[in-house]
Amino acid sequence: MFPSKPFPKTLIRHQHQTSSFIASPTLKHSRKIKMLRRNIRLRKEYLYRKNLEGDERVQYEKKMKIREALQEGKPIPTELRNEEARLRQEIDLEDQNTAVPRSHIDDEYANATENDPKILLTTSRNPSAPLIRFTKELKFAFPNSQRINRGSQVISEIIETARSHDFTDVILVHEHRGVPDGLIISHLPFGPTAYFGLLNVVTRHDISTKKAIGKMPEQYPHLIFNNFTTQMGQRVANVLKHVFPAPKVDARRIVTFSNESDYISFRNHVYDKGEGGPKSIELKEVGPRFELRLYQVKLGTVEQNEAETEWVIRPYMNTAKKRKFIGE
Amino acid sequence: MSIAKASGFEALEKLMSTEPPVFLAPSSISEVARTASRYLFEKLKPFNPKSPFDQLLVDGFDAEQIWQQIDLQCQPLLSSLRQDVKRFAQNPKEIRKLGNLALKVSHEDDDVDEMDMDDDELEATESEGDEEEEGDEEEEEEDDVEEDEEEKSGDHEGIEDKFFKIKELEEFLEEGEAEEYGLDYKNKKGVAKRKKQNLRDDDDDEEDEDEEEDDDEFGAFAGGDDEEADKLGKARYDDFFGGKKKETKMKLKDLSEDDEAELENQGDVKLSTHEKDRIKLQSKIEQMEKANLDPKHWTMQGEITAAKRPKNSALEVDLDFEHNTRPAPVITEEVTASLEDLIKSRIIEARFDDVQRAPSMPTKAKREAKEMDDSKSKKGLAEVYEDEYVRQANPAFAPTTFSDELKKEASILFKRLCLKLDSLSHFHFTPKPVIEEMSIQTNVPAIAMEEVAPVAVSDAAMLAPEEIFSGKGDIKDESELTQEERKRRRAKKKRKFKAESAKDPVKKARDDTTENPKTGIFLCSYMTFRLLRVFEIRK
Repeated sequence: MFPSKPFPKTLIRHQHQTSSFIASPTLKHSRKIKMLRRNIRLRKEYLYRKNLEGDERVQYEKKMKIREALQEGKPIPTELRNEEARLRQEIDLEDQNTAVPRSHIDDEYANATENDPKILLTTSRNPSAPLIRFTKELKFAFPNSQRINRGSQVISEIIETARSHDFTDVILVHEHRGVPDGLIISHLPFGPTAYFGLLNVVTRHDISTKKAIGKMPEQYPHLIFNNFTTQMGQRVANVLKHVFPAPKVDARRIVTFSNESDYISFRNHVYDKGEGGPKSIELKEVGPRFELRLYQVKLGTVEQNEAETEWVIRPYMNTAKKRKFIGE
Repeated sequence: MSIAKASGFEALEKLMSTEPPVFLAPSSISEVARTASRYLFEKLKPFNPKSPFDQLLVDGFDAEQIWQQIDLQCQPLLSSLRQDVKRFAQNPKEIRKLGNLALKVSHEDDDVDEMDMDDDELEATESEGDEEEEGDEEEEEEDDVEEDEEEKSGDHEGIEDKFFKIKELEEFLEEGEAEEYGLDYKNKKGVAKRKKQNLRDDDDDEEDEDEEEDDDEFGAFAGGDDEEADKLGKARYDDFFGGKKKETKMKLKDLSEDDEAELENQGDVKLSTHEKDRIKLQSKIEQMEKANLDPKHWTMQGEITAAKRPKNSALEVDLDFEHNTRPAPVITEEVTASLEDLIKSRIIEARFDDVQRAPSMPTKAKREAKEMDDSKSKKGLAEVYEDEYVRQANPAFAPTTFSDELKKEASILFKRLCLKLDSLSHFHFTPKPVIEEMSIQTNVPAIAMEEVAPVAVSDAAMLAPEEIFSGKGDIKDESELTQEERKRRRAKKKRKFKAESAKDPVKKARDDTTENPKTGIFLCSYMTFRLLRVFEIRK
């Protein structure tokens, strides 16, 4: 029934016409094919789950209503009468994982907590010397990161190599006449990309010479997020949080992201317990300091131009001054 | 003292008699000057009870030190002197109240001062002073002081005491008014003023002018507002701060001019207040009309390009427009301090927003604890060895163990799963060929097969309709048949019926109804009743 010989080579070639590879199937070739297929499969899965989200949310809301009605002892709303039995059964069977509807947004960071993040740092094309210096400083600020020269690489190339080498994030830094003015954090498998503008940048090089400023500890830092109260704020906090790995409990380094009227301040400190008892703490500021201003969040990586925009800043709206998207 | 006095007076006289050029060259005149200054100092001492010096210390001191001593002595006296002089300027009659001696002294001093006026002017501007110069200045000051002191002693009025003097109050008020309204009016008492000017120091000249004008204003108020308005418009810098050398001449000139002007004004017809107001209004209206006719200032011209306005003019204007975005935060020290406080409080609380590591799934399955089976093994030991040997030697012939079967089952399940996943993900998916299995299926309702005691009855049949159907060929409904078709069918039916009836002979119907009609009816009805019931159930 089954042919005893393996499939003829010509057939294999037909199957792989979609890729740009040449020649005969070697082991490396087949591995590439597998990677490609795996990516395709994952993307399809992701899109499928994203499609289901709307329905799931509706179901979730109905279950919420029934649950509330049961708790308060009120009659179940009339529109849910028909489905009530089925939904009640599902409510009983739920556990903490299935209770909350998971969105594709959460799925982006689902696997992020299992491994430490691996970051690729690079700049825009033809960077100036101050920008290179700033990028080097950022390399120390973000643990587990690597800096590469940009050269003349295209963004899609960079992302592809990053994916194949299992990087979790790619960070691009842009400048204006030596002053860094843009930061793009792109989470890798398909994850969201956050575009920030940088203001009030103070680099370690500005402060003093290399000897005077001393070395910076490269411990995994503790994180502080202040005033990220809205949903968008939580999203941004998530993006920034997953750039850092999980620290030890007794880590001495602290990275702070503090939001005030949509401007996020980044600060890097090292602390020591002071002399005057447990309540006194000596903070020493280390590392660059800058303000971030979020202007776009896209649901795709940097190279995907047609990716959906989750949020974009609207500075020319008449009520722009009154609205705050990240905090308060 | 008297000897000293005499020598002092002599010294003074000697100084006065010497020619000016002698002062400029260093000579024995210095000794004379010192004695003269000491004499004058002693004279002044009673008027300044608070002075720290009893005597002017002259021996071995240089010019600067002597001068400072004198300065220390005289400073407090100067302000009181000024006030007295003002007072006397207003009421020259009071001067005459002083004793004749004082008058004489003052006249002499006037002459002296007039002589020395030019010298003093020159000397006042110089920063350094020789001893001779100091001596001259001292002379002048001390003369003034003496005069004023004597004048002061001459004043006696009931209300006034050493704290409150009406004259001083009036002067003060006039000064204030002069500053508010401008200072370009002169008094008719110009002649007396000239003398007063000559008395004063050069340093006080500017203030003298102000005081003069104060007095003038006092007089002018009585005259009328008109003159004042005109004079206000003519106020010039030079009137107050004219050149040092030409000061006196300028003052003289101004005085004479203003006197003439005043005289002229007073010559015109006096205007009523209403007419004055009208004149004012008219001038204002003319100004405004003129402004309207002129081309507008560039800020009021609407849209303006850089070419149409003067260079850098936008920097001078306070441009203000609404910004729609919140401005970027300026990082001050306070901001940094507040941030650091926040961080410190968080550290103390140990409340961080770190990434939480998710608990990882175990990569290896747990070792299955094999349960020991207590029951006696069915196979004997020899048979166990036999099976092992067979498995080793010929793996194909060995009977499958329980674990093998489990493995088989697992692999089958996995293959099925892979098949489904591949069908989802592959672009070119070829499904596996279906292996046909044979099995018997009966047309019994599904639930009947599955359950022993069927709770519910189901309509679903196990067999599909086409499996039940046993017909042949094209099926047509009765309405679709043609006439010939119908005939054919009927003929066929008849043939069949005849063939069947030929086999079983038809029984004749029995004649039961005549015997017992009632029972027959009863039977019939019973039968129909039963039939109906059956039909109902069937439904």
